[in-house]
Amino acid sequence: MQRLLDSGLEELTVMVYRMGGLAEKALSLSINGFIEGKDFSQDVHELSENLVNKSVEVEEKCFGLIAKYQPVASDLRIINSYMKVAYDFERYGRYGWDISFIGTRFNGKNEKCDKWIFDYIRKLAAKVLEMVRVSIDSLRKLNPELVKTMTEQENSVDKAYFEFLDKLVAQAGVTNDCTISSLLVVRYLERIADHAMHIMEAVVYIATGEKITLR
Amino acid sequence: MTILILVAVVLAIVPLVFILGEVLVRGAGVINLGFFIHLPGGPNDKSGGIGPAIAGSFIMVGIAGLFSIPIGIGAGIFFAEWSSSKISTVSGFMNDVLTGFPTMVLGLFVFIIIVLSTHEFSAVAGGFALSLIMIPIIARTTTESLKLVPTTLREASMALGVPRWKTILRIVISTGKTGLLTGIVLAIARATGETAPLLLTAAASTHYITSIVNQPTASLTVLIYNYGTSGFPVWEAQAWGAALVLILVMLGLNLLVKLTIGRNLTEARME
Amino acid sequence: MTKLSKRFIELPPAKVETINLRATYGKVQALKGINIKFPENQVTAVMGPSGCGKSTLIRCLNRIHELTPGAKVEGQVILDGLNIYDPKVDPVVIRKRIGMVFQKPNPFPTMSIYDNAVAGLKLNGLRDKKKLDELAEKSLRMAFLWDEVKGDLKKPGTALSGGQQQRLCIARALAVEPEIILMDEPCSALDPIATAKVEESIFQLKKEFTVIIVTHNLQQAARISDYTAFMYLGKLEEFGETTTVFEKPQSELTEKYITGKFG
Repeated sequence: MQRLLDSGLEELTVMVYRMGGLAEKALSLSINGFIEGKDFSQDVHELSENLVNKSVEVEEKCFGLIAKYQPVASDLRIINSYMKVAYDFERYGRYGWDISFIGTRFNGKNEKCDKWIFDYIRKLAAKVLEMVRVSIDSLRKLNPELVKTMTEQENSVDKAYFEFLDKLVAQAGVTNDCTISSLLVVRYLERIADHAMHIMEAVVYIATGEKITLR
Repeated sequence: MTILILVAVVLAIVPLVFILGEVLVRGAGVINLGFFIHLPGGPNDKSGGIGPAIAGSFIMVGIAGLFSIPIGIGAGIFFAEWSSSKISTVSGFMNDVLTGFPTMVLGLFVFIIIVLSTHEFSAVAGGFALSLIMIPIIARTTTESLKLVPTTLREASMALGVPRWKTILRIVISTGKTGLLTGIVLAIARATGETAPLLLTAAASTHYITSIVNQPTASLTVLIYNYGTSGFPVWEAQAWGAALVLILVMLGLNLLVKLTIGRNLTEARME
Repeated sequence: MTKLSKRFIELPPAKVETINLRATYGKVQALKGINIKFPENQVTAVMGPSGCGKSTLIRCLNRIHELTPGAKVEGQVILDGLNIYDPKVDPVVIRKRIGMVFQKPNPFPTMSIYDNAVAGLKLNGLRDKKKLDELAEKSLRMAFLWDEVKGDLKKPGTALSGGQQQRLCIARALAVEPEIILMDEPCSALDPIATAKVEESIFQLKKEFTVIIVTHNLQQAARISDYTAFMYLGKLEEFGETTTVFEKPQSELTEKYITGKFG
């Protein structure tokens, strides 16, 4: 039976999926751009701004549905979660922009970096992009199955982050464009992974009603 | 269409107006204070009155009321509050049959069981016969009035921990009391106008009675019958006078009913 | 199989509970074996689609159901350890301990506001004017009606507005000082403002009474109740804390009903 709420929910879902798509694009452009030395900062910036606007739209849509229809149970969980997830997507976009910015700021100086730094970033980036993809996919399917795998991934990302930190600190006295930019980028990557887990928490909540903290 | 309805209304009212007019015209001339008090005189005695007849009617309707009001209301309550029992359905049906029962037959019945066994006409016999007419009417109107009281009021009372008998007495009857009174007044009006049963049980008389158990008792209706068919002009005129008195009493009682219902409707509108 | 929300074990002590309660109207089986515990000093909402038996359930709790011709009850209802359907128990006494407010306001039309409020007491023989005045004021205050009527208590009960009449009926039920108040869709005949006032009073009532309210208004059930029971076709489908039932119901039927996907 089609309820009055259903058309609003459909519109909301479409908005959120679109945001997911945009966020994924922003991140893959910016991260791959950074690694390959290409400058997509213009596009990424546009995407990021778009995501900020869409986040506001989603929030307003959610409040509208709540005020009008007093949703309960799974409807309420979905609406509540979408509000939070919209913020996570906005953050994806923002971090994507930050990474692009770092890329242009330190443009062309990557070749001077130590190889190990770049390898680290490359490996980490691959993991994080995969996590981003899984988070968006799980949200689309409302499928919490991959929570365990994701948690393991997140742990390894955290571990990598701290290891990187230690290694940089061990390189005492060396402060150059490389160390600064790579540190910032690794930090952003860790934050992105964090938001991916936040999205997974939302997926679990929608599917089961359980509130869990994975981070 | 409207014209047809108007015609029907006029046709319905005309006989009543005609009768009232006739009675008024023919009876008014006889009415004076003496008429109400004096004993009846001979067929040519203009100073005769209908005092005993008025008193007799009054007494017998009173006796009838003493029997019929408690019994009728009791039966009415039973039919209304225990309507689902088989006894209620059967006796309720019997009650309805009695409502339109030929009053001559009722009179004959009382004649046999009281008059023949006591060898007397009496006011009690007359009153008893009238009560047989009044009971079904009172029972029926009581039942209908009580049924109009919403079930939710009974439930509300019982939900407060008020026992059933108290609920019926203090809530149901209290709420339906206007209907009950209406029924009683209507029954009284009906009884006052009955003739046949009284012919067989109280007969007629020319005195004020001194006992209700062993004397024939005069009544307005029987007097009208006797005088009206007597052939003597004075008596016939007095019959019209008595008829006028009777009609005025009936009108008075009916007006009483209208006024009480009117008040009830105003109260209902306030809700 | 009734789905119990996960926090069932923390239920406060039950004031009244039913054991395998069955009820019929003639040949129709309205309740098919209900086992439910109503927590003390809490508001429990009973909801479900039309015909699920929710009104029948509460009418069995104060033995009003059996007053309908052809109605029968089997099973037990335990109030403080006593089965109220035990043949030795007088239903009249039970009804003084378990009060009821009906769907349509039904003040006694021949009585004033004051008399309506204390009707349960007066009809049962209480004559002490002082005590009656006290209880009239107390119960009218608890029903949030005192301020509106204190100026003229002699007015007929039916001269009040619908919402006020319903609060008068609540006061009438409270004056008898029951332990449990049953309410059968008390706001369904009222406008939103009157409803809000009645809900306000219900919220305060649970401090002194155990309240069980039948409602078909989901938002109302969510607003005012601590516990919610969902019934379907004469059976208890789910029971639990209201926030839990409305956030993550255990039963699919419950989910379907409260999200409006029924039918």
